[in-house]
Amino acid sequence: MSDDSVPLALPLLRLAAGSSEVTTLYRELRKPLLRYLVCLGLSSDEAQDVVQDAFLSLQRHLASDRKQENIRGWLFRVAHNQARNRQASYHRRFSEPLDGEMESLAADGTPEQRVLEKEKFRCVAAAIRLLTLSERECLLLRAGGLRYREIGEVLGMAVSTVGDTMERAIKKLAEKCNV
Amino acid sequence: MCDVEAKLVAWLDRELSSDEAADVDRHIKGCQECRGRLATYKQVSETFDVYCDAVGAGKTRHRVSRWVPVLASVVAAAVVMFLAFPQRRVEPPPVLAPTLASVPVPAPCAAEAAARKTMRRRHAVPPVQERAMKWQPTETAVQIAIPAEAMFPPGAMPKGMNFIAELSIAPDGSVQQVRLRQ
Repeated sequence: MSDDSVPLALPLLRLAAGSSEVTTLYRELRKPLLRYLVCLGLSSDEAQDVVQDAFLSLQRHLASDRKQENIRGWLFRVAHNQARNRQASYHRRFSEPLDGEMESLAADGTPEQRVLEKEKFRCVAAAIRLLTLSERECLLLRAGGLRYREIGEVLGMAVSTVGDTMERAIKKLAEKCNV
Repeated sequence: MCDVEAKLVAWLDRELSSDEAADVDRHIKGCQECRGRLATYKQVSETFDVYCDAVGAGKTRHRVSRWVPVLASVVAAAVVMFLAFPQRRVEPPPVLAPTLASVPVPAPCAAEAAARKTMRRRHAVPPVQERAMKWQPTETAVQIAIPAEAMFPPGAMPKGMNFIAELSIAPDGSVQQVRLRQ
């Protein structure tokens, strides 16, 4: 996901210009947030809207002098809840979250490498379909760099439950992908 | 099945406490099977991350790439049309200068077009006086013979006397002048 592929909206520019802290957070977390939302099943436009709304909420949150220790987890939670609210039928649309068009990351590789990558992605996609919704969300948040405690805050789960869910999901993928 | 197997993913993610992590470290050094599982879990995690990157990149880039060829085709077609059919300037027919002597209704073409255009507008109709000043009065177009008995009481005028009403009609159809003569 290229930084240039997603235009920065004007309100967010104003927001970023007024707060160096939010600017730093935006640069650091925008990409993982977008990837998480897109992989959840949102379109690119929807994901950008949600990310902007999340950062505007953060700006209001910080402006009201309410301190937040874990801003990354807070942002993911806000984005996750907004994504759910935007979906008319969350479970239906999110049931196949990772079946979008894929961009080959081995575009500069040989044809054999591209074929192998495609086959690997096909296998991963088939294995992901076997995961439950919570297992997918746990894996996606983990791929976004969140700790188990943050994932638990986003999804409303205990840390021990997150650990169990993560282990189950990884084992399922390993069995199905045969890597 | 090893005791630490359930903790391998958490160990990989560094989510274990220091004591638990130390136990797993010791076990891994002596258990080849768990080392193999760890390698598999690590590879699965990396593959999942790469897959998510590919999905995200595909969704965000595909929308742009889908429109690029369409826009390029439209622009190319417009250029071809412009080159194949250059815009020709339409020469208006020559307009003779209107003269009162030769032309009974001297209405300049441009002025007429402007007047028609103006009349089509709903909210910008020029006043009648202004329009009348632009048009030259025409010669008498209508003459109406009116018997004197129809205009005066019986006995006021001699019998058989008629009056002729001459109506000057403006080009826009309005009556400009009425003159009554014997």
